[in-house]
Amino acid sequence: MHHNNSLDKLKKGERAKIISYSSSEIPAKFFEIGFLPGIDIEIKHIAPFNGPICVNIVQNNSLIALRKSEAKYIIVEK
Amino acid sequence: MKSPIIALLGNPNVGKTSLFNKITKLHQKVGNYPGITVEKREGTVHFKDTTYRIIDLPGTYTLFPNSMDEEIVFNALSNKQDANYPDLVVVVSEPMHLKRSIVLYQQARELGLPAIFVLNMIDEAKEKGVSVDIPKLESYLQTRVFQTNARSGQGVNELIQHFSTTTGSYFGGLKIDEQFQPALSEAKQLFPLENEYTTWQFLAQANVAFLSEDTKQKLQSIRAKHNLEIAHLQKSESLIRHHQIDKDLIDIISYNHQTQENKTSAIDKILLHPIWGYVIFFGLLFLIFQAIFAWAEPLMDFIDETFGSLGAYVQTVLPEGPLTGLLTDGIIAGIGGIVIFIPQIAILFLFISLMEETGYMSRVVFLMDRWLRPFGLNGKSVIPLMSGAACSIPAIMSARNIENAKERLITILVTPFMTCSARLPIYIVIIGLVIPDQKLMGFNMQGMTLFGMYILGLLSALGAAWLLGKVIKSKHKTFLIFELPTYKLPDWKNVAVNVWEKSSGFIIDAGKIILAMSIILWVLGSFGPGKFNRAEEIVQQEYPNASAEELENHVKSYQLENSYLGILGTTIEPAIEPLGYDWKIGIGLISSFAAREVFVSTMATVYALGDTEDETTIQGQMRKEINKNTGKPAYNFASGISLLLFYAFAMQCMSTIAIVRKETNSWKWTLIQTGMMTGLAYLAAFIAYQLLK
Repeated sequence: MHHNNSLDKLKKGERAKIISYSSSEIPAKFFEIGFLPGIDIEIKHIAPFNGPICVNIVQNNSLIALRKSEAKYIIVEK
Repeated sequence: MKSPIIALLGNPNVGKTSLFNKITKLHQKVGNYPGITVEKREGTVHFKDTTYRIIDLPGTYTLFPNSMDEEIVFNALSNKQDANYPDLVVVVSEPMHLKRSIVLYQQARELGLPAIFVLNMIDEAKEKGVSVDIPKLESYLQTRVFQTNARSGQGVNELIQHFSTTTGSYFGGLKIDEQFQPALSEAKQLFPLENEYTTWQFLAQANVAFLSEDTKQKLQSIRAKHNLEIAHLQKSESLIRHHQIDKDLIDIISYNHQTQENKTSAIDKILLHPIWGYVIFFGLLFLIFQAIFAWAEPLMDFIDETFGSLGAYVQTVLPEGPLTGLLTDGIIAGIGGIVIFIPQIAILFLFISLMEETGYMSRVVFLMDRWLRPFGLNGKSVIPLMSGAACSIPAIMSARNIENAKERLITILVTPFMTCSARLPIYIVIIGLVIPDQKLMGFNMQGMTLFGMYILGLLSALGAAWLLGKVIKSKHKTFLIFELPTYKLPDWKNVAVNVWEKSSGFIIDAGKIILAMSIILWVLGSFGPGKFNRAEEIVQQEYPNASAEELENHVKSYQLENSYLGILGTTIEPAIEPLGYDWKIGIGLISSFAAREVFVSTMATVYALGDTEDETTIQGQMRKEINKNTGKPAYNFASGISLLLFYAFAMQCMSTIAIVRKETNSWKWTLIQTGMMTGLAYLAAFIAYQLLK
């Protein structure tokens, strides 16, 4: 069963696929660094007290950190 | 013949700087790009009668600029009039992130630049199970592909031999989305001489520095007419390219992933741990400060003694007189006062450079972002704030990789509150004079006071950031996204180059100011109008019964008070009297406006000019100095604390002011910062003195 969610709701260790962005205000830098719709990701670390999250892009094994305030606009499918 | 320019272009963390160091064999210099102080690294290499100029462009993921660093890259590659417009672009990539590098490569080619492609870190490719079909990649990119390992130097010579390569025309290129075509055709009218992709780049950027205001206005009205957002255009290009390259790379690269935990992942489990991560980071900070104060001490003592005996030697060789005083007390003591900080600055930059080289620094950004955000700062502000403990100038420059304009501005404005090494000599001398060398609850009180000054610096930086965050409006929403590179052993050559550049830069800049100030002070203190020249006559009338030696002392101090320097000091005395200072300290304040560290050498010059005895140390001279107005020692507890607070807050550094002006490109913010800091300094010193006296 597929389940759509925003990236900031995922827990450490969960894997998902990025579906789309729910805000057009997300800077182009997110795309350029490799955060594109269709890629598979895994949550690797979450900094305490609502800090940034660290996400692994599975395809090229790179680690990207971003804030929850932007992660909530990224729609993922578990 | 003009030397051909070779520009190194690449993503961050692909080993571009190591490659640059290998190519130029350290024949390089760090300058500034005209108008702004983004560091420009340039070097040369000779091959077959040709000298090539190699430019190491800042790392970027795209030619659409997100920060000042990235603006440099776009301007150098798209403005044919730019002094750095390259004859050949060398795109540096690494096998793991081939796709992102190809995006950059295509952008450069489509702007009309010849380019060759380098696969660096080729040693890691095998380890990570990546294999690349080089002939296929060459035909796909329509250029030569070179494989290098910048650390060992493998492949570098072959690359240099091909710097004269010319590449033919480039076929294919971005298929711009239909929906933007009408706007693009209108933009093309504005740039009849540019190709389609260059025009597209201009259309998709809000502010291309080298276009005229008129042209920018026209581009803006095209965007407004078609209801276009620049981010939308940039994202569209990014999507199209990534999608296409993904398809094209299928037969060219194969990943044979080991899904088991890799090294980086294992290290991150500890270093990014919600508890241990912070324990380790603060442990490391403690170690750095321990190193700065404990390990540097023997070296600093050695430098201190060397300059002390040099001064003493010069004094024995040269005849006694004001000129010798200038040389020993002004210049030698002043330069010594700067050189003594080399060990501390070098150690601090050694640690910072190691943290950056190994990949740990971006982990610190990850850990600290949440704690700096409430203050209007960004995780990336950690680097400027930490470097600020050595010197604000490189620290402020390192703020340029913060994308958000507001967070960058706040970081620049508050960094000078951090306790830089130029404050140390003042703190040490004054604490030595006014805080008893005793233990309180097992801690040395002088050491605790010094530690307190560091905490004060940090707290005032955070407090000021919080206040500024409330005042400054932001046009863009703040965001943070960055890559955490894999852990690597440091490239020691990069570390050494970095430490050397930072330390020598500090010494040369500060040394020039000290030298100039010493000479100006000496001239102003050795000459004066009217009464200065009749000093002996006047003093003899005033003290008819004094002995010859007493008379000489009186003449000396009378001359100083009536010299140009003395007049300057006595003029500002009413303003600084409520802070507990006399006119001699006033001279110190004025001259140290150029640079804080000048204060101690100025006081040495001032007291030596008005003195005939050879007091051995500056501290000794200061201890016996009496403030005429109060009749108390000039450096007592109240005036000492007042001075400490004054120097903690006041913007006493011309170089910092100059760098802030350049980096913010605004006199308004520079003046607000200087006014805010010096105003706060005056207020704090005033309150402290009035309460304590």
